[in-house]
Amino acid sequence: MAGVLKAPGAFAITPHKVSVCVLVQIYASPSQISIPFPFSSVSQHNRLGLYLLALTKSCDDILEPKLEQLISQLREIGGLLDHWLTDHLTSRLSSLSSPDDLFNFFNDMRGVLGGPDSGVMEDDQVILDPNSNLGMFLRRCILAFNLLTFEGICHLLTNIGIYCKEAISSCSSYELRRLDDSGNDLESLSEYENMDLNLVFKKINEEMEARKRATERVSFHLHLPKELSTLVEDIEVFADPKSEHNDKGRESSSYSSSGDLLRDVDLNGGVFLRTNWQIQGYLMEQADAIEKDGSSFTLNAFELTLRQLQKLAPELHRVHFLRYLNSLYHDDYFSALENLHRYFDYSAGTEGFDFVPPAGCNSFGRYEIALLCLGMMHFHFGHPKQALEVLTEAVRVSQQHSNDTCLAYTLAAICNLLSEIGFSTTSGILGSPFSPMTSVGTSLSVQQQLFVLLKGSLKRAESLKLKQLVAANHLAMAKFNLTHVQRPLLSFGPKTSMKLRTCPVTVCKELRLGYHLISEFCCEGSTMTTDGAFSTAWLKNLQKPVGSLVLSQDNSSRDNSNPFLFCTQPSSIPGSVLQLVGSSYLHRATAWEIYGSAPLARVNALVYATCVADASSSSDAALVHVKLIQHLAVFKGYEEAFSALKIAEEKFLSVSKSRILILKLQLLHERALHRGHLKLAQQVCDELGVLASSVTAVDMELKIEASLRHARTLLAAKQFSQAAAVAHSLFCMCYKFNLQVESATVLLLLAEIHLKSGNAVVGLPHALASLSYCQSFNLDLLRASATLTLAELWLSLGSNHTKTALTLIHGAFPMILGHGGLELCARAYIAEAKCYLSDPSFSVSDNPEVVLDPLRQASDELHVLEYHELAAEGFYLMAIVFDKLGQLEKREEAAASFKNHIMALENPQDGEDPLSNA
Amino acid sequence: MSSKESCRNELRTAIRQLTDRCLYSASKWAAEQLVGIEQDPAKFTPSNTRFQRGSSSIRRRFRTNEITSTPPTGVAYVSTPVMEEDEVIHGDFYLLAKSYFDCREYRRAAHVLRDQTGNKSVFLRCYALYLAGEKRKEEEMIELEGPLGKSDAVNRELVSLERELSSLCKNGMIDPFGLYLYGLVLKEKGNENLARKVLVESVNSYPWNWSAWSELQSLCTTVDILNGLNLSNHWMKEFFLASVYQELRMHNESLSKYENLQGTFTFSNYIQAQIAKARYSLREFEQVEVIFEDLLRNDPYRVEDMDTYSNVLYTKECFSALSYLAHRVIMTDKYRPESCCIIGNYYSLKGQHEKSVIYFRRALKLNKNYLSAWTLMGHEYVEMKNTPAAVDAYRRAVDINPRDYRAWYGLGQAYEMMGMPHYALHYFRKSVFFQPIDSRLWIAMAQCYESEQLHMLEEAIKCYKRAANCNDTEAIALHRLAKLHRELGYPEEAAFYYRKDLERMEAEEREGPNIVEALMFLATHYKAQKRFEEAEVYCTRLLDYTGPERETAKSLLRGMRMAQSSFPSMDVEHFHP
Repeated sequence: MAGVLKAPGAFAITPHKVSVCVLVQIYASPSQISIPFPFSSVSQHNRLGLYLLALTKSCDDILEPKLEQLISQLREIGGLLDHWLTDHLTSRLSSLSSPDDLFNFFNDMRGVLGGPDSGVMEDDQVILDPNSNLGMFLRRCILAFNLLTFEGICHLLTNIGIYCKEAISSCSSYELRRLDDSGNDLESLSEYENMDLNLVFKKINEEMEARKRATERVSFHLHLPKELSTLVEDIEVFADPKSEHNDKGRESSSYSSSGDLLRDVDLNGGVFLRTNWQIQGYLMEQADAIEKDGSSFTLNAFELTLRQLQKLAPELHRVHFLRYLNSLYHDDYFSALENLHRYFDYSAGTEGFDFVPPAGCNSFGRYEIALLCLGMMHFHFGHPKQALEVLTEAVRVSQQHSNDTCLAYTLAAICNLLSEIGFSTTSGILGSPFSPMTSVGTSLSVQQQLFVLLKGSLKRAESLKLKQLVAANHLAMAKFNLTHVQRPLLSFGPKTSMKLRTCPVTVCKELRLGYHLISEFCCEGSTMTTDGAFSTAWLKNLQKPVGSLVLSQDNSSRDNSNPFLFCTQPSSIPGSVLQLVGSSYLHRATAWEIYGSAPLARVNALVYATCVADASSSSDAALVHVKLIQHLAVFKGYEEAFSALKIAEEKFLSVSKSRILILKLQLLHERALHRGHLKLAQQVCDELGVLASSVTAVDMELKIEASLRHARTLLAAKQFSQAAAVAHSLFCMCYKFNLQVESATVLLLLAEIHLKSGNAVVGLPHALASLSYCQSFNLDLLRASATLTLAELWLSLGSNHTKTALTLIHGAFPMILGHGGLELCARAYIAEAKCYLSDPSFSVSDNPEVVLDPLRQASDELHVLEYHELAAEGFYLMAIVFDKLGQLEKREEAAASFKNHIMALENPQDGEDPLSNA
Repeated sequence: MSSKESCRNELRTAIRQLTDRCLYSASKWAAEQLVGIEQDPAKFTPSNTRFQRGSSSIRRRFRTNEITSTPPTGVAYVSTPVMEEDEVIHGDFYLLAKSYFDCREYRRAAHVLRDQTGNKSVFLRCYALYLAGEKRKEEEMIELEGPLGKSDAVNRELVSLERELSSLCKNGMIDPFGLYLYGLVLKEKGNENLARKVLVESVNSYPWNWSAWSELQSLCTTVDILNGLNLSNHWMKEFFLASVYQELRMHNESLSKYENLQGTFTFSNYIQAQIAKARYSLREFEQVEVIFEDLLRNDPYRVEDMDTYSNVLYTKECFSALSYLAHRVIMTDKYRPESCCIIGNYYSLKGQHEKSVIYFRRALKLNKNYLSAWTLMGHEYVEMKNTPAAVDAYRRAVDINPRDYRAWYGLGQAYEMMGMPHYALHYFRKSVFFQPIDSRLWIAMAQCYESEQLHMLEEAIKCYKRAANCNDTEAIALHRLAKLHRELGYPEEAAFYYRKDLERMEAEEREGPNIVEALMFLATHYKAQKRFEEAEVYCTRLLDYTGPERETAKSLLRGMRMAQSSFPSMDVEHFHP
């Protein structure tokens, strides 16, 4: 018998269930009249019935409501009857004073049920069909009671005592609560109250079926961290703000308010342990939520909850995993490490319902998963070397235990690691264990190894039918193709003629391949059901037990996200798939950014922000916002960008290591440069540099950004040799880590430095080198900008090169005007004007508009940017033109504007806006 | 200075008082110490002393420093325990309650005393309630065991007890025994700081209650906490300190305290056993065995601490002695965790690991927090190649006491067995952190670094160096150091370590292939260095061994002679026409 009780799905009888039984008894008291005694109308009766249905559905919940909560709900349901109902309930409960009372109580319950042959119902008699939902519930309760040992009955009795006592002691607080959440149960119920009961049953059953179907199909693999492709389940836990609030409130009131744990336990003798599945489901939900948005959890509050849970169920090891996640996302290295080891020591990687015993039935545990997680953890904390070592071990162990799935994920993780973090050499690390993979030879460069790995990983994932991993791999491949020129792997043998260019078509193809996932995710064979997730889905629906479906369809005026969520949740795409799709949009946006199509980049970012932002992790969402705001800054000027930034800052207030912060510093730096606040610019630039980790090869992007900006600042301060030195060392770094796209930018910067310092001849080769980089990587916009610089270089070589310069500028114009930002356009205009003016064969008086028009355009754009230096130059040219034309008034005007800009440049105003006080 | 006589008087009174309050284990402890005080030979007949104690010749053999004086406790601030004999009127009720208590009918005892207000009655009532709650808690733990493990049943009396005791404490109407109980309750409730304070107060005003001391000891988990305690001087404090030091792995300090105490309590079994345990931690197995033998001769039905003895017998592979011990404890008390552990050890020694696991499990059923049983069970699972189970067992040991380096070491070994050396390193690092003086741990870690998967030889060398520095009895480290240096191409260092290794092997008169290897290397090395004299010495030594090395040595010698003769021989020819 003990075995029966310990079965994972055990249905334990609790005080809450006893009170539901009491209510069922009231609802279906075996009387002869159609409306039993306390009820005055059919609708009233039906309303209680509906409420009971909702209760029985939610009784598989993690936390059962306390009596006080039940009573408050009853008051809303019961209407006129509420006093009678609550009185009856409490008196019935408190009358249970000895075990024998309980025996009698459940005997009475049996009477409520009809016989097995009572299918034929007399019209005016209320008998509970044993096969109905309520009937089943009662039967389960009775069965569970009968299975109890005598000690168990004693415990039930004590618990009922506590349950009642709590309600009485907290009765006074009820009135307050009632005021602020007189919920919408009432209205939702009213929809149904006059309906035929059978219809309702049918509806509810359908709904349940739909949910079941939806949840059953998803496969989980909880052990795998988010960086790969967050393969966790489909349920949108806290997207509903209301339920989130309620859940949190409930938890915090029962856990965190009392620091003393023991007192806590005494208090909630009422918090009864649910079944294994439910708790696992709860933990899964929490894991999902943490991975999505770790910062929305406060470290200590959640830790307290987990500790409590661990006390209640010491053999539930998944709790340690949650603790690991919690400390991981709060950057607590030691605790994360400790808990990770603890979890895998206890569970051997074989716990949880995602565990399918391997066919070969090796009982050696699946410690390779531990290695995979450890590797991801090191990656997260920015220890690339350790991460690679651990992942290498993971590859070896998974090969040894022939755990192909883990191997596929590990390979994907290694690819991710290699592409994210700069490795100048992998000698000694990626040696022997990969020999089956990289048997081509160890002389390959990191990039080539990465390519081979990516290919291998993709093939593996495909053969194992891990759809999401396949999609993630396609994305990784796209990313690789975006920034790397493919070279032949073999240095001997017949060589096909290869043009050394990246191939946008391949990128596009890879990105598209990821889409198949959406159509295919439902075909993915799932080996396990997800009861846990299913039962916890009720958590959030408690507030509106039934009818929301209808309501949301009828009532389009309600909050937009709610009906969407509710309708789509059971049947539509799982969150993890949505995330993958979202990240494919992100990749597209980035790809277009690199290729230099601003509108397309923006469109993709917008699609992401509108369609998949709900499902995305907060860091991805922040990234999209960053992209959009950057776009604004480039095309609309700082004013708009900063106002958008404010909104984004509020939205992602708590995101740690925030991209938003970086963006803010970038914008501040740019504006300071334009305005000529060089001190501020340097300060901001330093701050940016500090954000990067000090470990070599980690946070490369940020480091490059910071030193690029450093060089720019020096350039603006006219310290050319220093600027050149910084840029040069930056180029060396880019070369070392094979960052070719960045190299192009740096080379261009070097060209600009030489241009400004008057060494046009030295600048030319740099500009040309940058151009060739741009060509082979299809960086069209950057190429246009390089062409412009090249033109400027030619121009500064003397007036006999103006023709060349002009041709270059005109060649670049379509790209610049179509996709370039304000600054680039303005620069192009001014350069064009300068070309004309310095051309000896050009006479201003003949055709003044050819020069004046671009200058005007430029000055407008520069005004928005507050780019004083360039604007001054524009007005200066304008003044000269007007002077030549003899339009003295206009000349004075232009000269005054020139003077203003120069003044502004030389005395930077201190009128700083509050944004810069970081 | 408290003389033996005064100690004796104090203890005698204390035992009566403790027994009166049903603090049995404390009074047992006190009585043991009382008898442990050396009797004045003048007062007793020889037969009496012989009865008291067997020969102490063995002890003398191992006594390093003869203690002549009683412990330097300073001036004891409390002399004899004087307790007012109160409640004459209600004494009858008290007697009834106490007899109920003695029959383990705790609630009945508490009920009898419900209206009594005297200190003694209040204490006994509360204590009875506390024990009743504990008993119920144990039962509930089994009743409420769910699919996810034990539910955390709590002692339901704690809340009311705390309320009552704290109000008594506030009003100053509490005696030291009440304070002890209050401390106990606070500790159970997790309020450790206050518990510590209350317990200190209790032992300061009544130092003879060993139970209070041991509760206090369990709350002293670090040296800092210990130093923060404001304890008054008393000879009982010495016992306490010795025991705390032992828990904190300050074995030498603990040992010296105990040896001091032995001056007064010459025949105390308790002290003897503690000394044995301390020496066991210092790995002085020979002496430990002698001490335990002596102890068993005097106290043949003792079960306490016998698991340590069995560990010693296990390491020394004394099959029959271990089986004899197991038999003896089974006859004495079958259901003691120690007994089960001893039997587990026996089966393990016999290589019957399944049976051994059964007994360790039984030990753990009796005491879930029995640390060494978890670790030993882990070892058994490792032997049975059931690594996940081993990992689980070790992890539980570590979670009970994170300072248990053996279990950390076991975890590391288990993972290394599974071919995850990098993962194992984490555990080895933990184990050397808690026990940096154990060469075996360093060697294990070094071997992990050396494994073909990691092949991090530099790190391995560092570990071996640490191992060589902490008295590596098996002399693995030096040999490995020499070898690694040779492989990495540092012949000077290699020669240095080979020479050290050689010296060591000579000192310990060991034979084996290592000597040949060392000699061989040194000979060739010095030859290459053109230090022919040294080379010749080693070559000559090599000639004592059989095998191919001998031939090599011969040819080396010949080569050297040739080389030497080529230069000086010309001279010789030159001088001798």
